[in-house]
Amino acid sequence: MFRRLALCLSTLLLGVLCPAQTGIRGTVLAESDRQPLAGAAVIVEGTRIGVQTDPEGRFSIAHVPEGARFLEVSFLGMQTQRVPISGNQMTIVLRDAGTGLDEVFVVAYGTARKSSYSGSASVVGGDAIRDIPGSGFENALAGRVAGMQVTTSSGQAGSVPEIRIRGIGSMNASNEPLYVIDGVPVSSGDAGQMSSYTYSTSNLLSTLNPEDIESISVLKDAAASSLYGSRAANGVVIITTRTGKEGRPVVRFKASVGFTPSWATGNYEAASVQEQVDMLYTVFHDYAMTGQGKSEAAASDAAISRLNSKFNRHGYTFKARSTDAYAHIDILEYDGSGREGRYFDWNDAYFRTAVYQSYDLSVSGASNGTSYFASFSYTDDQGRLRVNSFNRYSGRVNLNQRVGRWFELGTNVSIGRTGKSGYNDTRNTGSNSFMQTRNLLWGLYWPTDYKTGDPWTARYGSYAQNGVYYDTQWSNDATTTDASITETAVVHFFPGLDLKSVLSYDHTSVLESLYYSADHFNAASVGGRIHEMRTVSETLVSSTTLNFDRTFGLNHVGFMAGFEAEKALTDFTRTTGENLPTSALHTVATAGTISGNGYRWGHSMVSFLAKADYDWDGRYYLSASWRRDGSSKLSPETRWGNFWSVSGAWNLTREPFLQNVNGLDLLRLRASYGINGTLPTDNYGYMNLMSYRSAYMGNPGGTVITPVNDSLTWETNATVNGGLDFTLWNGRLGGTVEYFSRNSENLLQDVPISMVTGFSSSLMNVGMINNRGWEIELHGDLVRTRGLVWSASANVALLRSRVLSLSEGKDIIWYDPTGSDDRAQFLYREGGSTLDFYGYDWAGVNPENGKSVYYTNNDNEDFVFNGRSATYDYRKADYTVIGSAIPRASGGFSTRLSVSGFDIGADFLYKIGGSLYDGAYKDVADDGYYWERIRARSYYQEMWTPTRRDGTQPALSGMDLEDSMQYTSRHLHNASFLRLKTLSAGYTLPATLTRRAFISRARIFGNISNLLTFSCYKEADPEVNVYGTRGWETPLGKTYVIGVELQF
Amino acid sequence: MKRIIILIGILLASVSCESFLDMQPTSSANASQAIQTTADAGVALNGIMRSLTSSSLYGRNLLLYADAKGGDLTIFSAGRGLDGLYSFNHSATSNSYSGYWSSGFYVLIQVNNLIGNIERLEEAGGTGFDYYMGAALTLRAMLAFDLVRLYGAPYTQNPSAYGIPEAAVIHSAGSEPGRLTVAENYRQIVSDLESGAERLSADKSHRNGNVGYYANRALQARVRLFMRDYAGALAASEEVIGQGGYTLYEPENWAASWAKQYGSESILELGVDTEADLTTASLGFYYIRYHQFSNAQGWFLASDYFLSRLGEDPSDVRWGVMDSDESVEKSGVERKGACYKYVGGLAAAGDGKETRTAVNIKLIRLSEMYLVSAEAALHASTPDRTLAASRLNAIRRRSPNLPPVEAGSVSDALILSERSKELFGEGHRFFDRIRAGERIEFNDDFQDVPVSGRSKVIAPDFQRIILPIPQDEINANRTIASQQNPGY
Repeated sequence: MFRRLALCLSTLLLGVLCPAQTGIRGTVLAESDRQPLAGAAVIVEGTRIGVQTDPEGRFSIAHVPEGARFLEVSFLGMQTQRVPISGNQMTIVLRDAGTGLDEVFVVAYGTARKSSYSGSASVVGGDAIRDIPGSGFENALAGRVAGMQVTTSSGQAGSVPEIRIRGIGSMNASNEPLYVIDGVPVSSGDAGQMSSYTYSTSNLLSTLNPEDIESISVLKDAAASSLYGSRAANGVVIITTRTGKEGRPVVRFKASVGFTPSWATGNYEAASVQEQVDMLYTVFHDYAMTGQGKSEAAASDAAISRLNSKFNRHGYTFKARSTDAYAHIDILEYDGSGREGRYFDWNDAYFRTAVYQSYDLSVSGASNGTSYFASFSYTDDQGRLRVNSFNRYSGRVNLNQRVGRWFELGTNVSIGRTGKSGYNDTRNTGSNSFMQTRNLLWGLYWPTDYKTGDPWTARYGSYAQNGVYYDTQWSNDATTTDASITETAVVHFFPGLDLKSVLSYDHTSVLESLYYSADHFNAASVGGRIHEMRTVSETLVSSTTLNFDRTFGLNHVGFMAGFEAEKALTDFTRTTGENLPTSALHTVATAGTISGNGYRWGHSMVSFLAKADYDWDGRYYLSASWRRDGSSKLSPETRWGNFWSVSGAWNLTREPFLQNVNGLDLLRLRASYGINGTLPTDNYGYMNLMSYRSAYMGNPGGTVITPVNDSLTWETNATVNGGLDFTLWNGRLGGTVEYFSRNSENLLQDVPISMVTGFSSSLMNVGMINNRGWEIELHGDLVRTRGLVWSASANVALLRSRVLSLSEGKDIIWYDPTGSDDRAQFLYREGGSTLDFYGYDWAGVNPENGKSVYYTNNDNEDFVFNGRSATYDYRKADYTVIGSAIPRASGGFSTRLSVSGFDIGADFLYKIGGSLYDGAYKDVADDGYYWERIRARSYYQEMWTPTRRDGTQPALSGMDLEDSMQYTSRHLHNASFLRLKTLSAGYTLPATLTRRAFISRARIFGNISNLLTFSCYKEADPEVNVYGTRGWETPLGKTYVIGVELQF
Repeated sequence: MKRIIILIGILLASVSCESFLDMQPTSSANASQAIQTTADAGVALNGIMRSLTSSSLYGRNLLLYADAKGGDLTIFSAGRGLDGLYSFNHSATSNSYSGYWSSGFYVLIQVNNLIGNIERLEEAGGTGFDYYMGAALTLRAMLAFDLVRLYGAPYTQNPSAYGIPEAAVIHSAGSEPGRLTVAENYRQIVSDLESGAERLSADKSHRNGNVGYYANRALQARVRLFMRDYAGALAASEEVIGQGGYTLYEPENWAASWAKQYGSESILELGVDTEADLTTASLGFYYIRYHQFSNAQGWFLASDYFLSRLGEDPSDVRWGVMDSDESVEKSGVERKGACYKYVGGLAAAGDGKETRTAVNIKLIRLSEMYLVSAEAALHASTPDRTLAASRLNAIRRRSPNLPPVEAGSVSDALILSERSKELFGEGHRFFDRIRAGERIEFNDDFQDVPVSGRSKVIAPDFQRIILPIPQDEINANRTIASQQNPGY
């Protein structure tokens, strides 16, 4: 992205043509810090004459041919400059990649220059993702790329955001992009098994140190991604790690520390203890009066007696000041407990000010054909929940050696290890601290028994468990280690013809342990339980490509052909020990009974690929790619498929009629069309399997677990893309406008089938989805003077995501899979959006009686409400589409100001339009009685009462109404929001000052995450998951970070 | 490194992409190849038996259903779980207890898969499958019988009402089967039981933990009684009593029988070992006293009506599995509403396996056959009151202070009352009362728990005496969408 220092205008203004000369010299500097760039390529345009800069950034070319007018200077991660040859002492300043149009960036199986690339891709520079706290790089990508949605469902330390590129293209298979690190497709996502037990995941990409990342390319259309074939439909994220740059060794040290003292927003704040007690009294009062026909006085007595029977044991007793249903209740001491006026603060007991710290040390450099980069880092990220933390150690060596003129060898070795203690933050009454503080834990409950002072071990009447005690009786740890070696060999046969072979071996192990003591409610019946699990994956990838690249006059031709094979095998073992003799040793070895399980799974793929590029005079570009994949995930009859793309670009500024238009640097049109795919998630989805997990009385038992479908195949995506790129006024303003339309066909879908068949769904290829929309990216320098640069960038994606056809036109009802709590109900219906919420049409509250009213949307009509047929009984109403989670527009914008060493930046994230479904509010705004749970302050303030007839929430009732549990528009809200995702500031000390301490560069910085949020929806954090729903996941925090970066 | 070299070798040679791409699972097998021998059939039968122990079926909910709805149980507090069964707070979308439907048909496809494979193997000349075929047919009948009782009108009320879809075929993925009538369902059930008995008759030995010949006959007795085929019920139950080789527990041994597997009364017992143990979600935990053990939520307690019935004789041996419930903490009066049948009796030490909750489920006991016989004899076309009295009194001995019933005074009421006492918690009460056309009163006043799905007393024609077809089925099956049960 933008670097902060002023551009050296002089370079650009040196437009005076010099007479032909024989020798030139110069220096290449980085714009951001004015440091020399070693290893930059300087080529005389139109010739093959070129040199690399030395460690001091200097270059010299002895013989420049007559007629040569321009130099082309390029460096990975920087924008390539075309500079007029201008004498003997040229100073050439390169800008960082990320915003400009003519950067060299990494694409599928190679690199490309943005000016000649006809696909759709965006690049995020490494600078943009460093400094940001968190467990991985993904979070920092939010709002950076038009059309890439980065959402975080859980604020737990170590949780990983979900990424969607250009909408939702799949119903059942993955919607996550393919990740490629240094040319090798890698596994992403959860590699462990703990999610089956505590919903805590062990994510592979978290082992990658964000500081090691040089740049990230996001491939969006088919032209960009089809070379990855059957895995590319959801886009591709290519991560390139850092390499050494020509020059003396650079040692970099960075340390940062952060604090998260609070959540980013309010989240279902509970009403006060007094308000809760008053509400529960009202509920009981109503039950006695309405349900049992008691008199008001008797009902009041009954309600007080029920309050007493619930809370006497906690040391409280109650008195009503009047006998009516909304009486004020005095909360008094009971049995000399000494608790009158004192309530336990569960928030304080469960949450903390989380501390984040990160240290990173690296050394890099290059000389004599050797380049190297080595790093080590440590990160520790506490969750706000006392039982949640994450840490990472990671090390990396990237080494590249030229051997003679023909041969080049590169070795990247990295080891990352993460440790995580997670916890179940789904809708779980026993263990979700967040839900408990909002919905279950009364201030009247104490973690100790007032009579004995012992820990309170019984389940509370609300079904919460005493976490203060039980969190000492269990533990969970997951250690994920990823070790990877990537060996790259390049043979340069002759200029323009290279053979490149990449062999990669990746070893991942996830060790997980989950322990419950004999006193923990989860394992008391078995005398304590421990699970130890080991998931070890090995992935081998080998790819060999032959690359040809040549210019014949004005014709430039490129060709690539290759072969790739990949095999991934995972071994899983679990041992479980029960009946543990001592709480001191948490090992299976000590257990009275030991059981276990173990098996293997895997998948493999063989691919052939080819690509051809042609351009004429840098004016017309044509490109085509092809890949043939064979996958083990499909039956032999269907496993081979072809994926391809064609694309073209037209650089209008190279046309004579636009050559001399003032202020127009670049104007380019491009278009592409192509086919790629998505494989099933399941390794053996096409097989009709009999599982042997049903042992009966010690003998093996088999059951058929899947219906057969051997015609299963990959999903096919056909994407058409058109784009316009422009740069104006010497790069002061640049941007891209794109239109795309992506048809996803043969969608894999767990089609709900009649359960009479024995199964509730069958995996089939059915239906079609279309995602289309506009993406606009703009960036520019608002002010650019010597010493001061104020730049800004913005992006927007306007997405329309529709279901075009379904199996036999049948609607499919489905549920948000997050947390397996079915928090929201969706409908796929032909013509509808891909995220249509489906539920009862809640008409609000009848001001006459405070009851929830539903529009029936059918012939039933108990009464007319607002001119429509309505009922109080949701059972008489029909479900209808009540909203869509697809926003009208979403994206981000950023601004940076840098002046004499200071830099200030702000990154915003926004969403306009669309709905979000609050799947948690049903618990905290129950108008009926289910158990003695607590309610949200917002409900208390908005509930209908005889004196508040305009209340928007239904009146309290003593019955178990079930109303709030239904899927209704009552829980639907406008999802628009604007969030100041990161506010950052830094100061780079003057080099003259730091040089004396042998520090070439010293920078102090600070940033704040999630500082400000503006939204229509106020109840909780509006930044919701990819399904547009909110549940009981841990909210995001507001994190304050300060740090220092030193370079020697 | 060796693997890498091998891989490179494979890649460079590119000899066989297909074998490189052939990946097989290691925890499961291709189902079409899975049943070839009698041993394979045994493995499939084991899988079926294990599936029956699921919490949605005989492991818990299928038994709880009839007790929770039969008036002999009550609840202490709403929200502890499964109280929707008690409160009848059902709709297609919430509290539909769809697990009965989905798990029931899941096991049915396992059974039908086994039956289909045996038919295929026998056509090809295979032999030795009689037992597996007989057991499979019997289990298919048992499941279909229990499902049609949940979803279809009682046979005795309206046999032409909708029952369940055809249970004796494999419905292919994508089909949308409609419901048959209750009568059609029962025709299939009886036919399955009869052909099952034929297959099983060659070897009538007892099969601990599995279906034997007499389990089939006992099931016939149960089904035919429910159909008011008294002659058939009498014949079947008398055959089991007379020739089955089972013996009634002596009164003094009755309580202790719950701490043992495979007692002398066990005609069909479902094996639950530690692998199938539902631990704190087991049937046993649902009946024991609140917080007696961690996570015991005191879900269901005996109602006042049951306690007063059993209280007709304070020395009734069946008090031997009842103990004080949590209400004592509030009232100070001991009330033996907590039941310990499924944790190995009052000692709660299980039935001989490692945990107290890995307890076999005794699905059919000899005492039930005595009571079936008594009822059938009483209602036979030529009633045999002497036999009825003798069969009833054989069980009534378990109340030592109650006098034997004279032949002249045997009545349905006495038999049903004895069934309530003897078979408490074993999944009969609701169906017994529906069969008898009784009104059912619920002990809601015990703790004043609000109940919204029904009134305190329900009549036999109350619509919610059967469950709604779950909404997920309605959504996926257009045929059944128009066949929802009335009132839902």
